[in-house]
Amino acid sequence: MIRFEQVGKRYPNGHVGLHELSFRVRRGEFLFVTGHSGAGKSTLLRLLLAMERPTTGKLLLAGQDLGQISTAQIPFLRRQIGVVFQNHQLLFDRTVFNNVALPLQILGLSKTEVVKRVDSALERVALSDKAELYPGDLSTGQQQRVGIARAIVHRPALLLADEPTGNLDPRLAAEIMGVFEDINRLGTSVLIASHDLALIARMRHRMLTLQRGRLIGDGEAGV
Amino acid sequence: MSATRSSKVSERVAAKASDPAPQKKKHDDDDGPSFGALFSAWIEAHRSSLLDSLRRLGKQPIGSFFTCLVMAIALSLPMGLSLLLSNVERLGGSWQRAAQVSLYLQLDASPSEGEGLVRQIKEMGGVADAEYISRDEALNEFQKQSGLGEALKELPENPLPGVVLVTPLEVDKAALEALRTRLAELPKVQQAQLDLVWVERLAAILKLGDRFVFGLTVLLVAALLLVIGNTIRLHIENRRTEIEVIKLVGGTDSYVRRPFLYMGALYGLGAGVLSWGVLAFGLDWLNDAVVKLAGLYGSDFALAGVPVSDGVSLLLGAVLLGYIGAWIAVARHLRELAPR
Repeated sequence: MIRFEQVGKRYPNGHVGLHELSFRVRRGEFLFVTGHSGAGKSTLLRLLLAMERPTTGKLLLAGQDLGQISTAQIPFLRRQIGVVFQNHQLLFDRTVFNNVALPLQILGLSKTEVVKRVDSALERVALSDKAELYPGDLSTGQQQRVGIARAIVHRPALLLADEPTGNLDPRLAAEIMGVFEDINRLGTSVLIASHDLALIARMRHRMLTLQRGRLIGDGEAGV
Repeated sequence: MSATRSSKVSERVAAKASDPAPQKKKHDDDDGPSFGALFSAWIEAHRSSLLDSLRRLGKQPIGSFFTCLVMAIALSLPMGLSLLLSNVERLGGSWQRAAQVSLYLQLDASPSEGEGLVRQIKEMGGVADAEYISRDEALNEFQKQSGLGEALKELPENPLPGVVLVTPLEVDKAALEALRTRLAELPKVQQAQLDLVWVERLAAILKLGDRFVFGLTVLLVAALLLVIGNTIRLHIENRRTEIEVIKLVGGTDSYVRRPFLYMGALYGLGAGVLSWGVLAFGLDWLNDAVVKLAGLYGSDFALAGVPVSDGVSLLLGAVLLGYIGAWIAVARHLRELAPR
């Protein structure tokens, strides 16, 4: 699904975000990327979303070389990916339904199909009864679940999450992680960047550890 | 409570995972949507963009109105001047009439010779029309216009010659002079007269007017594009987060661009309607004074309003300018809108 081959990222100001990173992620795998602030977790996600390009090495996602991908192809690449942000990135002037429907509207699906899929995604995150509310009417945990529903509604092959539990209390964080595991069980690869080691340890999935842009650990969490 | 909810979610997802129906659905999806479904989704996407743009303009009615008004004024100035020039042209008569060649016939030329001359002239190259005015008709007209009716009756015989009025095909100094020379050589023609100075002056004034209107149009179209571009730029800034999210979830540049293009076109449409209204009202308002002035010179001249064809062109042009202005603004800012 994902292949990093000696991937490096150096910014124009000289800062090195990633040093010759190499690892693979299988289809349907669940893994965490952890490390302190500035370790390179966000850079790794930004490379996978083609928000940035690697300066060295080769990064393949579903067979596509993200170092060579054309600007016009990027939107179509992103349609295979679902993204969950720490700050949710919801549109507060749209209802929950319309927030979740956004990726489907972009795909140009029919109204009937959009309704069916949004209902299904909201049901999956237990927010069916909040469809007509606005994000501002919801709690932080519920907003995060709206973000998750939006990330999975178009049935992506890969789900990326950047510190998805960063603003949540431990109980809500565990709940959100449960939702990610449910989604992973349906065959979606899940890659979560988080520095919440306690939470990661409880989940017993593969964990990549980054430090100053280098991969210093690759194994099962909690072992 | 949350833990309970989480377990409920897990149960539901597990149930879905074991349900064979989604597998079947996935297979159906792989076949791809039909052309009809794609077309109706495309129409729906455009309808939704248009309605969204209308809703956003409606949310700021005063701001939207003033933007349209500024654009309308920019459109009205050249259009209004152009309409006034058309009216001036009409007032001075058509170009052909202004450049008519008057052929004064010899006094012994009979009406049948005059009619024959007209037929001969009509067959000549460079002639649009020719009209014969007999000596009697000329006298009658002169009596009516001069107020010397009684005095003229005292004359032993009609002193006025028959006249052939020749309307040329083109208004060009050299061509007109050549035509006048050829006409002067015809039999029974005493004198061929062409008031070229007046024609040249009118042509120069109207040409200057046309050039002025063209220059003004270019300047105001540029101003209009800047106005619409700046307005759309502000809309883009206000929706930066939304655009970033759209791009992150796979929205193409054309998807991002679409609502702004509709917005530009809607601004243009609003400006076009307002401009048409301003021009119709302005010409009507001027007309009273013009009719009064023309009446003092014994003329029944009145300003023509905005012709429907000109109004429709104004609307279409305004919509097009709004669309182009929005396109330029979005194209300029789209690169800056990469998700951060």
